[in-house]
Amino acid sequence: MSQSAKRVIGVIVVVAIVVIGYFVLRSPKEVSETTIKIGVVAPLTGDLAFMGEGIRDAILIAKENLGDTKNKYEVIFEDDQLDAKMSASASYKLLSADTVDAFVTFSSVTGNVVAPIAEQNNIVHFGIASDPNVAKGKYNFIHWTPPSEENKVFIAELQRRGIKKLGIFEGNAQGAAAVIADLKEQLKGTGIEIVTDQVFNFGEKDFRTTIAKVKDSEADIYLLLAFSPELEILVKQMKEAGISTPITSIESFELSEQLVLFEGEWYINSADPTADFISKFNAKTGKSPTLGAANAYDIFNLIVAANEKVEGTSKPTSDQVVNELMNITNFSGALGTLSVNEDGIVVSKAAVRMITDGKPVTVAN
Amino acid sequence: MNILPQLILNSIIAGAIYFLVVLGFNLIYGATKFFNLAHGIMAAIGGYSVFYFSETLGVSIYVAIILGVAFAGFSGFALDKFIYLPLRRRKASNNVLFVASLGAMTSLQAIIAILFSSKFKMFPQNVTTQKLFTIFGGIITQTQLVILVSAVLVMLGLVILLYKTQFGKAVRAISEDEEMARIIGIDTNKIIGYVFFIGSAIAGFTGILVGFDVGIEPNMGLNLLLKGVIASIVGGIGNIYGGVLGAFLLGFVENLGIWKISGEWKDAISFALLIVFLIFRPRGIMNK
Repeated sequence: MSQSAKRVIGVIVVVAIVVIGYFVLRSPKEVSETTIKIGVVAPLTGDLAFMGEGIRDAILIAKENLGDTKNKYEVIFEDDQLDAKMSASASYKLLSADTVDAFVTFSSVTGNVVAPIAEQNNIVHFGIASDPNVAKGKYNFIHWTPPSEENKVFIAELQRRGIKKLGIFEGNAQGAAAVIADLKEQLKGTGIEIVTDQVFNFGEKDFRTTIAKVKDSEADIYLLLAFSPELEILVKQMKEAGISTPITSIESFELSEQLVLFEGEWYINSADPTADFISKFNAKTGKSPTLGAANAYDIFNLIVAANEKVEGTSKPTSDQVVNELMNITNFSGALGTLSVNEDGIVVSKAAVRMITDGKPVTVAN
Repeated sequence: MNILPQLILNSIIAGAIYFLVVLGFNLIYGATKFFNLAHGIMAAIGGYSVFYFSETLGVSIYVAIILGVAFAGFSGFALDKFIYLPLRRRKASNNVLFVASLGAMTSLQAIIAILFSSKFKMFPQNVTTQKLFTIFGGIITQTQLVILVSAVLVMLGLVILLYKTQFGKAVRAISEDEEMARIIGIDTNKIIGYVFFIGSAIAGFTGILVGFDVGIEPNMGLNLLLKGVIASIVGGIGNIYGGVLGAFLLGFVENLGIWKISGEWKDAISFALLIVFLIFRPRGIMNK
């Protein structure tokens, strides 16, 4: 055997000894404590980074406020920039490299990507998403005010204001589609007519022709369902086109950082978080909770509650956690008293808000 | 109300933006005969330079625009000097240059995202209410009017440069036969370097105009380039007059195409036009 071959074998043997030694010394400590790993996929950079940061902060607050628990909880955050391709790679990374026990995702786009992955791998998944499809399957759950609840409040507000003709601009996304499908169903027999429904793609920046098409629609109000920056560009181009018809939204306004663009306009949002959560969030970040932050806080606590309820000393299985989650009722959360329904959806209420002095103000809860 | 005047106006504005992209793209393609994918990123470089100089450094907006155009031009020039020229000297094929331009585009886009974040940005001038004008019953903003006037001026400037100057003669000679141009004493590498500067500066200027009209984001160049390439192929790749036709045809097809159907079909219509031309007239309208 040559000298160099001997050296190579020597190096391999030393590395093998170090690696084996590391795992042998490390393993007893790990076995003694059960760690539940929660992987969070959210936009931490990009146009919606402020929302992803809100979700991250809320989860960290929930973790800091955990009392004594049987298990240890670790949270791993992955950025997906709200891009479906990045959502998929982030979730696979969390699954294979971090071996997470649960997923938390933000938006229907991400939720729809991660839901089948969670189902296939028997991992609990909580989506902060409108689209009920995200909750399909045994392991998938949603904690978001459902479209049916938001539309109920929305239609009541339209009726209260005497609005008869509704125009819609919707981004081509699962969440918006779910809201509009339910809205069309609920509008039947109310006397409120949808006079135009314009769908556009993500990334669209030129809405001028679409706006020109709706100018004659005689809508009393336009419902805008879009993410940032399409939302802001759309509003700016509507103003440039001379449209002075009021605008409204279901959630979308709070997906923007430029609330001043919607000054004086009312919209529908999930109900206000509790004062306790608002004060905790404010103390940590110096800001008001962003959309979805309270849901993220609740989701972390729901996952913890379910894991803690599983009896025995061994690590809870996903099936055991799912059973416990399905049995949760009257859970005291940041969005009030919560229960998980038979579809795996945590039902919370909606509220009417208005942008006043550049800030969201609840006008009817 | 008849919306046709507004649709025609929207088509012309879209066409003018695509035309500005095509102009630089065709100029570079004519001289080098390869698809320079990094051309689109020059638009982002122009837009972000203006944002940086005016917003971060507080430079006057007019000075920032000049700096932005110059910076985009120098970036294109540098790409040629440090990437494309060494490859051309090694007799690299057009496929190699194409892949190199893809790499340049991707890395420059990533650098912009790292420096400025991938967040969409609006120029402050864009957020405030713009002056509106009514032309033949359609509304046009101040920025869009500038885009239209700029497209005409840049086109005129380029035609004068190409057909009334020695430099233009040299560029046309290289476009027709680079080897022959070299034999008759033209410093082809130097001229191609200048072509990259001019083409990239035009792209940078387009990015600035788009920034004022809509806003800027790191991947804005790719979106503009895709439409620019469609317009270029439709009009006749490498042909400046073909670029005019292709850009405005694309603008009209896109905007009139979604008149009666949903706006989500806009991109599908653009690419359908491309496919139709690739099948039935692959050399475009102007090239025979």
